[in-house]
Amino acid sequence: MSVSISAPLEVRGLTKYFPAGTNLPGRPTSSVHAVDDVTFALRPGTVTALVGESGSGKSTVARLLLRLYDPTAGTILHDGANVTSERGKKALLAYRSQVQMIFQDPFGSLNPVKTVRHHLARPLRIHGLAHGDDVEARVLALLHQVGLNPPEKYADKYPHELSGGQRQRVAIARALAVEPKVLIADEPTSMLDVSIRIGILNLMVDLKQDHELAMLYVTHDLASARYVADTVLVMYAGQIVEQGPAERVLQSPLHPYTQLLLSSVPDPSAHERERIEIHKGLAAAAIDPKPGCRFVDRCPLRIEVCSHITPELVAARPGQSARCHVTAPSPQIREEIHVDSTH
Amino acid sequence: MTVAIQPRQDPVARETLIELRGLRIAYGDVVAVDGVDLTIGAGEILGLAGESGSGKTTIANGVMQILRPPAHILDGQILFRGDDLTAKNAEELRKFRWRNVSMVFQSAMNALNPVMRVGDQFVDMMRAHERISKRDALLRAGELLDLVGIDQRRVRAYPHELSGGMRQRVIIAMALALEPELMIMDEPTTALDVVVQREILQQVRDLQAEMGFAVLFITHDLSLLFEFAHRVAIMYAGEVVEEGPGLVLRDAARHPYTQGLIRSFPPLTGPLERLTGIAGAPPDLASPPAGCRFHPRCPYCVDESSTLHTLQTTVRPALRAVAPDHRVACHLVEQQG
Amino acid sequence: MSQLQPAVEPELVPLSVAASGRQSRFHLPGWLTIVLSNGKARFGLALIGFIVLAAIVAPWVSVHNPTDFNILATRQAPSWHHLFGTTDQGSDIFSQVMLGTRRSLILGFSAALLATVLATTLGITAAYSGGVVDEIINFLTNVFLVIPTIPLLVVISGYLKARGMTTMILVLGLTLWAFEARILRGQALTLRNRDFVAAAKVAGESRWRIVFGEIMPNMISRIAAAFVLVFYIALLVDAGLEFLGLGDNTHVSWGMVLYWAQTNSTVLQGEWWPFFFPGIFLVITVVGLVFLLAGIDEVSNPRLRNLKVPKKAKK
Repeated sequence: MSVSISAPLEVRGLTKYFPAGTNLPGRPTSSVHAVDDVTFALRPGTVTALVGESGSGKSTVARLLLRLYDPTAGTILHDGANVTSERGKKALLAYRSQVQMIFQDPFGSLNPVKTVRHHLARPLRIHGLAHGDDVEARVLALLHQVGLNPPEKYADKYPHELSGGQRQRVAIARALAVEPKVLIADEPTSMLDVSIRIGILNLMVDLKQDHELAMLYVTHDLASARYVADTVLVMYAGQIVEQGPAERVLQSPLHPYTQLLLSSVPDPSAHERERIEIHKGLAAAAIDPKPGCRFVDRCPLRIEVCSHITPELVAARPGQSARCHVTAPSPQIREEIHVDSTH
Repeated sequence: MTVAIQPRQDPVARETLIELRGLRIAYGDVVAVDGVDLTIGAGEILGLAGESGSGKTTIANGVMQILRPPAHILDGQILFRGDDLTAKNAEELRKFRWRNVSMVFQSAMNALNPVMRVGDQFVDMMRAHERISKRDALLRAGELLDLVGIDQRRVRAYPHELSGGMRQRVIIAMALALEPELMIMDEPTTALDVVVQREILQQVRDLQAEMGFAVLFITHDLSLLFEFAHRVAIMYAGEVVEEGPGLVLRDAARHPYTQGLIRSFPPLTGPLERLTGIAGAPPDLASPPAGCRFHPRCPYCVDESSTLHTLQTTVRPALRAVAPDHRVACHLVEQQG
Repeated sequence: MSQLQPAVEPELVPLSVAASGRQSRFHLPGWLTIVLSNGKARFGLALIGFIVLAAIVAPWVSVHNPTDFNILATRQAPSWHHLFGTTDQGSDIFSQVMLGTRRSLILGFSAALLATVLATTLGITAAYSGGVVDEIINFLTNVFLVIPTIPLLVVISGYLKARGMTTMILVLGLTLWAFEARILRGQALTLRNRDFVAAAKVAGESRWRIVFGEIMPNMISRIAAAFVLVFYIALLVDAGLEFLGLGDNTHVSWGMVLYWAQTNSTVLQGEWWPFFFPGIFLVITVVGLVFLLAGIDEVSNPRLRNLKVPKKAKK
């Protein structure tokens, strides 16, 4: 008999609209549906990959989870408790001691006029995790933990004196300083040299195992998602269009968009490649979306109903769901299609 | 519809378009390109792979002759069809650029003038190089946009109305406007999504097959090159360390750096195991390691007592052929024969 | 050599030794050592030192009373008797300039300090807070910008009974903060969107610590430049007020000498000294401050520090 343990971080129906295009009095005339009805849970000791192109909303999801924005709708559950509208300083601080982030740009996420020591000591002081001489000891221990040895040498350095990989390790050390339960990594390796990326990815995997962290790995790189993730969520135009175990989603995808992504990744060991259709329109920005599937303009599988009814996330296989009328139709849709086709 | 990856035809009788001989370029005191020999044949796609600081962008700027102080050529030659580019004067270079060789820069999509319509930017560029009426230039612009897969009506669009991928395609169209013999592409798709990247590369490959221009494709993404390029050259710390047909390098790379790079790409299919990548970080070019520049990071440079180790730490390896079209600069490979 | 131990990092150029204040026997604070190690800053400090010295020794060195009128000694070119010459009324310019130094320095410095503190606080707060706070501060800034400074000062000075130093400082500081506030707000806006600010927020930093502890240190160069600019303008505006008779009549300043020089059309008469000497003192002060800014740049932007390390200092 299993006891259900509440996930350290969970979101239900998370939604964020940004106003766009204002008319004369300054009132927004339309809104961008950056994140629309996103639901998932992060489990300890696992990496969940959030995959999508730029504009898909994945970075917005990360920032919503960090409480850098307030959601338009939906709930954020921290250890089972609803914290969506919690604004109190103490509550927010408690949240921040549990949920941390690594940013995409290793240089941008470090203050150029502050030393490494400052970056690591501040979280310790803010959350009262160390005092006096203890702080220095902790700082050095953190540097050691992320592989920056000898730690004393790195503590005094400024960001511009470090290489990209080293900076990202400092960023990881900073995130670990408060001993969080949840770690969100927003494209942590996309701005690093290729030979450095694996080191950072390996470090993330080790940390996940050693500290039982619940990690969210936001990326557009499917191959690295496969390398580190246990679960994969695919986002398109603000919605999750497919989710499931990493191997399953990446080897036998349900949603045509996932299929498109997989066809596009360079894979030198392949002998043949699918030719893809050039998308002549503008990029998919979900501005005031009409009902219907948002991928319909680019989808090779589209049928009549796709332009009218927004598909729901349906589990077409155990543990794997997709938002597609064709490959993962909901029971009602299946009836409708069946009914249609018999006419 | 699937497309087979061409077994790269051996470009036997390709005319040499660009030849770099012993090229050395420095920024002030720091040597960024240190003795590079490279050739690009007509109609060939040469991939130049390397990480930051390897010197690949510097080489591109050198071929285009757009190096600005403190960058200057220390030594060596850049030959275009046998003509030494460094000996040309400013006027000749101006004619040479864009007509014989054009370039697509990194994040070039941000290089479009935000307050001019796309078509007008084409007109500007074309009229700088040939006598053509505005109307004809606009017509041609429309044709070029169509060539790269953009609706012709977009000629009247402003850059911000186009997506990043479309802007990059506009830049490529501009680079092709005068039908150059060589197009240099410096990380043209790095800032773009994987789907857009695939679209653009598909487009470029179609155009290349049709128009027959050569491409110097510079990127850090080796897996892209294996799919896309005929030949691949790997650069590290200002030197070419390995060079050969793409598929040969993919299956039988000899240089430890190339092997390490290949091992740094997590596979999308096949068995999943922990990768080691390459230890350390690219060196500081102001004071590169003595001998083989890769030796501090090389898994084969460990036995301090061996003569090989002494070689590796004191003598710079030279590019030597291990097969007719495959050259490697490595003491270990030399030793193995 | 595993990926977790990138121990084979190339030796990076070390921070210049001067940056580590711990190594100095006199225990100067780190930032001061950096400033002192910059040649331009040393030059600037020397110039300012000279001016400050002048201010200090002025009472002993000015043998003549600056406001003395001496009909017999009018319009005299510089001589041993009157080092800087005399004005049309026969007052000794040397005494005027020297004694005026003290007043000008204090006035300029204090007004600049007040204006800069206001501009910095309001500018960065507006940028960081956004929303209503930003709108209010912007409104305030625009009001102060639109109002013409001199007429405003005329009105204020006209109503004030006492026109001593403090009043002048307040008046100048409160009218000159606006344009720098706008500029600093602009810079703070670009910094606010940088990831390190978001990272500080995620780490749990309070708003004020982010504004003053994370954003402001990145703006020190610009703030210091704002200070110097306001210093210069404050002195000139003060001179203008003197000219209008709304200034502090009881004490002499450079501005006063300059404007009396202008009113008496001295240049037309070929008398260069009433302009030259106060002018050169003003120039020396401002130039000194500007050169000092170069040293401040180095403190505030660590990237500039390494440039000086000579190659032979590396191991």
